[in-house]
Amino acid sequence: MADPALHGVLAEFDNPTSLLNAAHKAREAGYRDLDAFTPYPIEEISDAIGFHDRRLSKIVLGGGLAGMLAGYGLQYWVHAVTYPINVAGKPPNSWPQFVPVTFELTILFSALAAVIGMIVLNGLPMPYHPVFNVPRFSNASRDRFFLLVEATDPKFDRKQTMDFLKTLQAREVSEVEP
Amino acid sequence: MATQGLTTDLPVLGRLRRQGLMVGAAGLILGAIGAFAQPDQFMPAWLIGFTFCLGLSLGCLAMLMIQHMSGGRWGLVARRVFEAGSRLLPYCLLLYIPIGVMLPKLYIWARPAAVQADHILVLKQPYLNVPFALVRAAIYFGVWIFCMWHLNRWSVRQDRGEVAVTPADMRRFRVISAPGLLAYVILMTFASVDWLMSLDPRWYSTIFGFIVVVGQGLAALSLAAVSLALLAPYDPLARYLKPVHVHDIGKLTLAFVMLWAYMSFSQFLIIWAGNLPEEIPFYLVRMRSGWQYVSLLLALGHFALPFCLLLSRDLKRHPRLLARVALFILAMRLLDLIWIVAPNFNQNGFPIHWMDVSIPVGLAGVWVFLFAAAGH
Amino acid sequence: MDPKPATYEPPPLIAPGHSFASVTDKIAAIVLSGRQPMGWFIGVTIGFAITMVLMGALTYLLIKGTGIWGINIPVGWGFAIINFVWWIGIGHAGTLISAILLLLKQGWRTSINRFAEAMTLFAVMCAGVFPLIHTGRPWLAAYWLFPYPSSMSIWPQFRSPLIWDVFAVSTYFTVSLLFWYVGLIPDLATLRDRAKRRSLQIIYGVFALGWRGSVKHWDRYEQAYLLLAGLATPLVLSVHTVVSFDFAIGIVPGWHTTIFPPYFVAGAIYDGFAMVLTLAIPLRWMYGLQDFITLRHLENMAKVTLVTGLIVGYGYLMEAFFGWYSANTYEGFMIWNRMTGPYWPMYWVLVFCNIITPQWLWFRRVRTTPGLLFCVAMVVNIGMWLERFVIVVTSLHRDFLPSAWGMYHGTIWDWATFIGTLGLFVTLFFLFIRVLPMISIFEMRTLVPEAKVQGAEGH
Repeated sequence: MADPALHGVLAEFDNPTSLLNAAHKAREAGYRDLDAFTPYPIEEISDAIGFHDRRLSKIVLGGGLAGMLAGYGLQYWVHAVTYPINVAGKPPNSWPQFVPVTFELTILFSALAAVIGMIVLNGLPMPYHPVFNVPRFSNASRDRFFLLVEATDPKFDRKQTMDFLKTLQAREVSEVEP
Repeated sequence: MATQGLTTDLPVLGRLRRQGLMVGAAGLILGAIGAFAQPDQFMPAWLIGFTFCLGLSLGCLAMLMIQHMSGGRWGLVARRVFEAGSRLLPYCLLLYIPIGVMLPKLYIWARPAAVQADHILVLKQPYLNVPFALVRAAIYFGVWIFCMWHLNRWSVRQDRGEVAVTPADMRRFRVISAPGLLAYVILMTFASVDWLMSLDPRWYSTIFGFIVVVGQGLAALSLAAVSLALLAPYDPLARYLKPVHVHDIGKLTLAFVMLWAYMSFSQFLIIWAGNLPEEIPFYLVRMRSGWQYVSLLLALGHFALPFCLLLSRDLKRHPRLLARVALFILAMRLLDLIWIVAPNFNQNGFPIHWMDVSIPVGLAGVWVFLFAAAGH
Repeated sequence: MDPKPATYEPPPLIAPGHSFASVTDKIAAIVLSGRQPMGWFIGVTIGFAITMVLMGALTYLLIKGTGIWGINIPVGWGFAIINFVWWIGIGHAGTLISAILLLLKQGWRTSINRFAEAMTLFAVMCAGVFPLIHTGRPWLAAYWLFPYPSSMSIWPQFRSPLIWDVFAVSTYFTVSLLFWYVGLIPDLATLRDRAKRRSLQIIYGVFALGWRGSVKHWDRYEQAYLLLAGLATPLVLSVHTVVSFDFAIGIVPGWHTTIFPPYFVAGAIYDGFAMVLTLAIPLRWMYGLQDFITLRHLENMAKVTLVTGLIVGYGYLMEAFFGWYSANTYEGFMIWNRMTGPYWPMYWVLVFCNIITPQWLWFRRVRTTPGLLFCVAMVVNIGMWLERFVIVVTSLHRDFLPSAWGMYHGTIWDWATFIGTLGLFVTLFFLFIRVLPMISIFEMRTLVPEAKVQGAEGH
């Protein structure tokens, strides 16, 4: 029963405990397309809405391996392949002396992978999002906690969902224009 | 109660005592046979065993003092293990006595004729000489046992309920621990010069003390991980031990594995790049005639493998898995000490003598026996 | 009976009575209200004036070349490397606070990590000035520093620790910037939502990337932040390690010693914490932030300063002992010359500053008296600069052959450049506290008592 005229319904709470209880109840009531907005990270709530994403550490691992190979490969290629010169009697492939740069590039690539990975997975930058249409939403970055039931949820119904959210001790429930 | 965790006579402790005693007896009988068959190999092997057991006890003392300084949940459950381990310092002192008596067997600088023949040894004689070395050993053990004795005595009093556990009372532990830690690091640095570095009296490395200290800390943490896994299924620990505690010990173990690798590699890189005649022989010996494989094994087993395994969060939270890694690290600690000591004696042939393993394992077996019996 | 006293509660990290809203408004107001205390104007004016001294010194350097400096044979490394090492070291405390203390779950980092990270960035910028200009011809530096297929077909020498430095410092700057920026994103969203002026909303909005505080975003955000902390921790150790390799890889007596990596790292953290104290104590007073940067913060930082100071002292002890124990003529002479040679006052002043002065921090009274703590921190800042001076100059000025001996003194241009970077640092720092929240707002919210979820129904 998706409603194209609406992005979803947003309920406002004034403390994290009410939000958490509401999220649990919404989940029990069968809602699946949930999102919550909080002014600081609260681990329990992503558990409550059933959200898990463990891809980031794999992306970082990939970045690190790429950095390691790039770092050692670069030095090996420069000193053992394309321009081998004798410095201080050290062998062309002076592996102990190639460790620091390899290490630094491993860290650099991993860190870039972590930040870019996080931003891309989160779909940022996203200057426009329907929830910003709710005037009171600006308090999500101050002291308010919000629960969103998206219109794409199969169980979504404008009237019923709003009534349901009102039973959860929400301060205010508002419709979110798309 | 957590405090009585090790005082109750659990079956697992009895088993540990029997196993420790058996391994200890077997190793020492083999060692005694070896002492007659190849007397020259006996003292180096004894030195390895001594430094290994000392590492366990002193590491425990250091971790105990760190725990008193920093607090933290990991210390809460591991404190009894560290206390029990530190109480074996007198046993280590006992192990030192043969070394003190037989200094000339181990150290060139303790042989007057050799000293007179070598200009460098003459220059170092004010520090490297038998009487001063013995006085220093007495000071080291005196200070360590002093710290150990007080920390344990106060702790026992608290357990018996003779003293109330108040912040004011806990302060006493810190008053000993802060200067105690400082003294431990400085004294252990000089002890590492006396007992290990001066096996090759020409070689020197300013980071060596840190490497030895970090190795001892790592040994104590591994010991804690193994002990907690053994005791975990039994009351009282079963009620107290949570995955976070094991996780914390696992994280600290990982940190120490990394620190050891960092310092060891720094020493290697600086000496390898500088290539100076006083320094590089240490590595030249360890890069040929079979020792290169031991060095490689150390790099992989003391760093790469435990590092990769300990990165896993699940492993660090699982007491039995962590204990297996910790046991492996303890074996690598022994290999590291063999790698430091043995190349000074076996210059040819197969690098590791069988006595280099059997005697340390025997001494460590006795250590474990005493450790399991020391809960009272 | 519990082995640890259950009754002992450390003082809170945030003064009582604060709520999500009060924390947010108080910190955001420093940026958004447009009103700054008098100290800000004085600080930025002085800082800017001194930055102009730096600009003058650099301009003259580019016109004349490095001949205007005191360096010559045998002391070919002078102020440039001393200042570089000093500044890089100062940066390390910021990373330590933001990364290592995060991994150790030390809640007290929260109110100081933001400006400590900013301090890191600006200190690395100031440090970066010196390698860039140290040849006097910065436009030539590209081909021996960066690996690119130049028309001369030559490559950087990767066996040289100076190239490791290029990689270490640029990685360090990049990762510190990422870490700082990632930490800022939620706060930028707060500023976007709180700003009244349209232009500010747009500017903060652009940098906030459209952050809306979704728990799905927070989940990945926390993962990324922890991973960054895990990466930054070995990185920060590696950076000063590589800096120490600049000295230790060569075979100059006094430089070639294996203790250098941990000793430099400890010295960097030591100096860095002293600098954080130097900044935090006036700031909390100027902006009335005693509720957020409490005495407990100052005391903890003082403790870290003491511990790292003791490690530095251990380093001096090792240098002196092994100088003798090595039985090497040059090593022994080096340490003797350091203590009794022409630069003896520098050495003993540094011992006073770095070893004797921090012993005051054993006393709780000193650790919790901001004025005294500030004095100790200033002395440590000076001492750590002297340490780098002593290491660089005393090892070089007595070459292996007495015929090549000489002396080194900084010229007025050396001093102008050094003091100029202090001005640059101060200016950047004051601009930062004007435009960005100097305390992490979203992390402060987690310290508010009501932030804890009550009676969570399992997971």
